[in-house]
Amino acid sequence: MQERKIRVLLSKIGLDGHDRGVVNIAMALRDAGMEVIYLGRHVFPEEIAQAAIQEDVDVVGISSLADAHMTLIPDLVKTLRKKGSDIPVILGGFIQPEDVPQLKAMGVAEVFGIGSKLPAIVAYIQSLKQTAVTP
Amino acid sequence: MYTKTSINQLKEAVADWTKANEAKFKTERKEFVTESGIPIKRVYTPLDLEEKGFDYLKDIGLPGAYPYTRNNSPVGYRGKLWESTAYGGKGTPEESNALWKSQMAAGAAKAYIAYDLPTQLGLDPDNKKAAGEVGRVGISMVSQKDWEVAFDGIDFHKMGVSQVLNAPAIFGLANHLTLAEKRGIDISDITGSQQNDVLKEYMARGNYVFPPAASIRLAGDILQHVGLHMPKYQAITVSGVHQSERGANNVNELALMMLNGMAYLQAGVDRGVDVDIMAPGVMFLPGVDHYVFFEEIAKLRAARRMWAKILKEKFKAKKPESMQYRIYGAHGGMGLHREQYLNNIARTALAAMAGALSGVEWLDTRSYDEQFGIPTTEAQVNTIRVQNVVAYETGVDATVDPLGGSYFVESLTSETEERAWKVMEDIEKLGGVVRCIETGHVQRMIAKDSYDWQKRFESGEIKRVGVNIFQSSEGEAEKPLRVYRSSPAIEKQRVDTVVEVKKKRDNQKVKRCLDELTALAREAPTAKNNMIPAVMEAVKEYATVGEVCDAFRTAWGEFREPNAF
Repeated sequence: MQERKIRVLLSKIGLDGHDRGVVNIAMALRDAGMEVIYLGRHVFPEEIAQAAIQEDVDVVGISSLADAHMTLIPDLVKTLRKKGSDIPVILGGFIQPEDVPQLKAMGVAEVFGIGSKLPAIVAYIQSLKQTAVTP
Repeated sequence: MYTKTSINQLKEAVADWTKANEAKFKTERKEFVTESGIPIKRVYTPLDLEEKGFDYLKDIGLPGAYPYTRNNSPVGYRGKLWESTAYGGKGTPEESNALWKSQMAAGAAKAYIAYDLPTQLGLDPDNKKAAGEVGRVGISMVSQKDWEVAFDGIDFHKMGVSQVLNAPAIFGLANHLTLAEKRGIDISDITGSQQNDVLKEYMARGNYVFPPAASIRLAGDILQHVGLHMPKYQAITVSGVHQSERGANNVNELALMMLNGMAYLQAGVDRGVDVDIMAPGVMFLPGVDHYVFFEEIAKLRAARRMWAKILKEKFKAKKPESMQYRIYGAHGGMGLHREQYLNNIARTALAAMAGALSGVEWLDTRSYDEQFGIPTTEAQVNTIRVQNVVAYETGVDATVDPLGGSYFVESLTSETEERAWKVMEDIEKLGGVVRCIETGHVQRMIAKDSYDWQKRFESGEIKRVGVNIFQSSEGEAEKPLRVYRSSPAIEKQRVDTVVEVKKKRDNQKVKRCLDELTALAREAPTAKNNMIPAVMEAVKEYATVGEVCDAFRTAWGEFREPNAF
């Protein structure tokens, strides 16, 4: 049986329009053989959670560069968990270092701040999947 | 420019030189290609200009004369230095009022309004989509009430208003006009500018609301109104820096900036406005960075030449000011880094020098702590001082277009121009710039540039000092600078204010105004149905940015972005 490709949902969140990073990541994940569903800009936690569940993705990657993540990310994680989903959420973008411990405490699996390298993000997502299939 | 004999002699000399130095050439470290992908030769000679068919008078001419390649002014910085600025904003109308008053006292002639995201996207603070974003990256200013507070005690005769508003630009202008009218100020005396460049929002910055055709109509309304009534006001700032920061290479940035500028002028012409009334109010905001130093200079010199040709040949402009590409050079933050952040001061100085060598009229540079958050005051002062050093200490102001005539720079200028015309032609063939935004062609073009750059940077082919070369030793962490973050209390305060405004006004009148706007928006645009007076009527009744945009949304819907990669 052919192994299912890793499925990743990527999205901007809230009103922030900076999509250079997230689209670069989308292209890198696709080049690494993953299936990428990209929701684009001006998307809100409820829509992202619904899409993630409907598309049965392995991980949700969110990009935020306008400093609204401390409001919107906890909202997204809560919405997913309330819907009974345990899909990991990772965050990228312009994140102040002092926010990272709080975000992780709120259930964010990993934070890739500015300066993160594409291969590191690819490898992290591959490792998530491997952890998940190990009995 | 050269005689046939001198060219032949030179050809022979180059051939001899090449033969004599072949072994040395093999010791070269690598192929040299600019970050935009233009191959750079070992050396440039008159042969390179000859190959491009270079004609001094036709291609560069003299400063202040068509095609303005060398400068818009015949005296350049010998007459007046460029104006140094730095972009910033505060969260509430009250805070901004205090800021602008202090700037006015210090001699500033312009108040810059950097809006928060909800205002830029036509959402009121009490809209649930605005949660967490009110007053965060700029000012929340959403009704005439806020304008009354923000400009209390500020005389519009002494202070111009520059707004960074795009999709709802008409709302910002209507508020400025309404407040001026209430104060009895003649519309022709109003100074300031509006960014009003929504096409680059679809391409790069992301703050769009309506579909492109509707946005062009709104921009056309502003161009018409300003063109007919506001001679001291700049109706539009056509941007390139946002495409550049999004990842577009210099050639693509240049081509897209030209296409967007043409689309706006065409919208005005279609509305029956004389191009010579509109074009002098157009200003450009291209990127100016250190890392493509000579390419930036070539890009800006090519831009002046191209815009002059476009205005003269395509739009049949007659006034010299119509043909001039006025440059508000904008330094991007993407070229700056957290690692060894003091190196950013050197990068800023080089960017400022690139701007000065290109003859920019205004220059906005970033601060060394840009990558840590909203800049500290110390860093903001520093970036102005860096520009001052370039302006007052280097002598770059002594002659106009110091690099004009350089075999390399002229060759690169012509190469950049040729490549940009080709990109423009390809986009026209695919149905034009608006069509190519709707299909996502332009967005994918920029995404490809950005991804290619990222891979070259991560592989080490593109180098950044302190980042992927000459890094600090392990454990020597970057020093986190103190960053300014807006207070979450602002959001609550802004929600309360707008709720109060909506309670106190005559809501029946507001509804009538908004219905009228929707009806107008449904009409096809003509020379006679400019929507500015109707938006002013709504604004006078304290209709908010969210409500005015909703009236338009009812007529036009919202833009859904196409597949971005």
